[in-house]
Amino acid sequence: MSAPSTATLKRAVPRFGRAPKVTKNLRKNSRTLLPQPHVPVVIGDIAPCRVMDHYYTTLQDDLMYMTYKHETTPRPTREIRLTFDPSDPYTKNRYNPPVGGSQIGKKPAPPVTPENVAILERIQIHTMIKEAIGSRQTLLPAIMAIRALTGETYKGGGRHTSEGIQIVRAKKSVGGWIRPGVPVGIKVDLKGPAMYDFLGTLVDFVLPRLRDFPGVVLPPQSSSVNSPSAVSGVVSFGLPPAAMGFFPQIEVNLDSYPKSYGMHIHFVTNATGLGAQNRARALLSGFQVPFVRK
Amino acid sequence: MATEAAIDTPVASSSAPAPAKRRVRSNLTASVILNRSPIITREPTPFETAYYDYQARIRRALHNPFPYEFYFKQGSLLEARFNIEETQRERNSFGDEFVGQSGSTEVKEEDKKAAEQLSQQEGEGEVIMPREHPADVSGDVKSLDRAAERNLYLLVRAKQDGKDIWRFPQGGVEKGELLHQAAQRDLFAECGAHMDAWIVGRKPVGVLKSQSNSTPSEGDEKFTFFFKGHIMAGQVRPQEKTISDFCWLTKQEIQPRVDDHYWQNVKDMLSDH
Repeated sequence: MSAPSTATLKRAVPRFGRAPKVTKNLRKNSRTLLPQPHVPVVIGDIAPCRVMDHYYTTLQDDLMYMTYKHETTPRPTREIRLTFDPSDPYTKNRYNPPVGGSQIGKKPAPPVTPENVAILERIQIHTMIKEAIGSRQTLLPAIMAIRALTGETYKGGGRHTSEGIQIVRAKKSVGGWIRPGVPVGIKVDLKGPAMYDFLGTLVDFVLPRLRDFPGVVLPPQSSSVNSPSAVSGVVSFGLPPAAMGFFPQIEVNLDSYPKSYGMHIHFVTNATGLGAQNRARALLSGFQVPFVRK
Repeated sequence: MATEAAIDTPVASSSAPAPAKRRVRSNLTASVILNRSPIITREPTPFETAYYDYQARIRRALHNPFPYEFYFKQGSLLEARFNIEETQRERNSFGDEFVGQSGSTEVKEEDKKAAEQLSQQEGEGEVIMPREHPADVSGDVKSLDRAAERNLYLLVRAKQDGKDIWRFPQGGVEKGELLHQAAQRDLFAECGAHMDAWIVGRKPVGVLKSQSNSTPSEGDEKFTFFFKGHIMAGQVRPQEKTISDFCWLTKQEIQPRVDDHYWQNVKDMLSDH
């Protein structure tokens, strides 16, 4: 940018810092009598995000260089052979799956390009509360704590995809324990800057203060590379209830919560194919999440 | 300890007095683009600042009610301080008239004083470190603290064909040696072991083909393979007699120092940030 245009920008911009003068009042909602904007208001970012910047300035390049595989020849295409001859009238309309079964866990990773470098898509936080099976009101303090932790609300910031804290209900009936539809826990999905802020808090404030936590334990070398978890590009680990008190959002008034809750954290990345979980781990270790071998 | 060991090994091999026995592949060179990542966040542009201000004001106007009684005891000092600060934030966002309209309660003088004292105890009045380092002011290009919000790259001045040129640290590749190992060894051989450096991956990030103009033939082609590296700690101490100087530069500062052919081949490996 040339110097004169910067100067004009600097002069022109500060009027956005203050609210403009109201020239025409908004229409009032007839039911609530509250002013109603004539467009759906969606709130964008309100501050630069340090951890996200780190990804785009440093981590993305490094991950691309580390995971790049040089392929000189085009990949062989897989000939898909169907179980029954599709031209045979006898097998017409019959379920006709390809021979070879499920390809999950066998598909090679897509070629590394600048567009598909491993990136964090969302973080899911999940807590199971056993007492909720008996009395569902025990979910409330946990909801309050996770809300304080993440700041997520239902359609928060006008984003229709933001589902806020969701209640997890039992799917199966387990004799003498749970029935389908009974609330058993809560979960929340984090995306965008909120996700990176949570990751930054976790890495800077929580993990260093955990007792006897050398890092996320890696599976043994002998573990399968074709298992669904190994090829899904998701890294998961759990935090003990003691960890909740280390989050600054909870720490300020820890006494207000009846108890601490542990949580499972799932880091969902875009990595797919063989070795996806390893690429997801490489991404997370770039954010300084420690990993150790047993 | 592990990093120390990693640093010591290449020095031992470079100082070992057996260069005569080594068979160097004359047409291959390994080079390291040593990078110092940004150490502070980028300053937002005026447009970004305006956008953030605007969005923050909408958010402030539309946020859910704040549960005061959950976070503060009634009449506590912390609550008083929060109210004072919140009023100030409202005033900054929406102007004096709005704060006057909303009928905010008058703050007691003793509350104000106590809140000020509290914030001083917590060290709020302390001066924040400036974004500009003294190295930026003095124009010291050897300092690793300069241009804190940019990516910096190490450039060394070396004697080549009788004249001084600026280039990235580089060196020869021995027979049977892997390229990334050669790159690391050459980096420490030229720049000393007093730094904690890490070569990213085993694959080169780029290649530079050069050919002597006088006799263009197949065997004359020379290849320089570039590897990306990161410096974590320490500083460069030029080791060889051929290296007379070094500097840490941003992408834009590198262009005038290197020749055009070199620049055209390396510019896309460097970050604009």
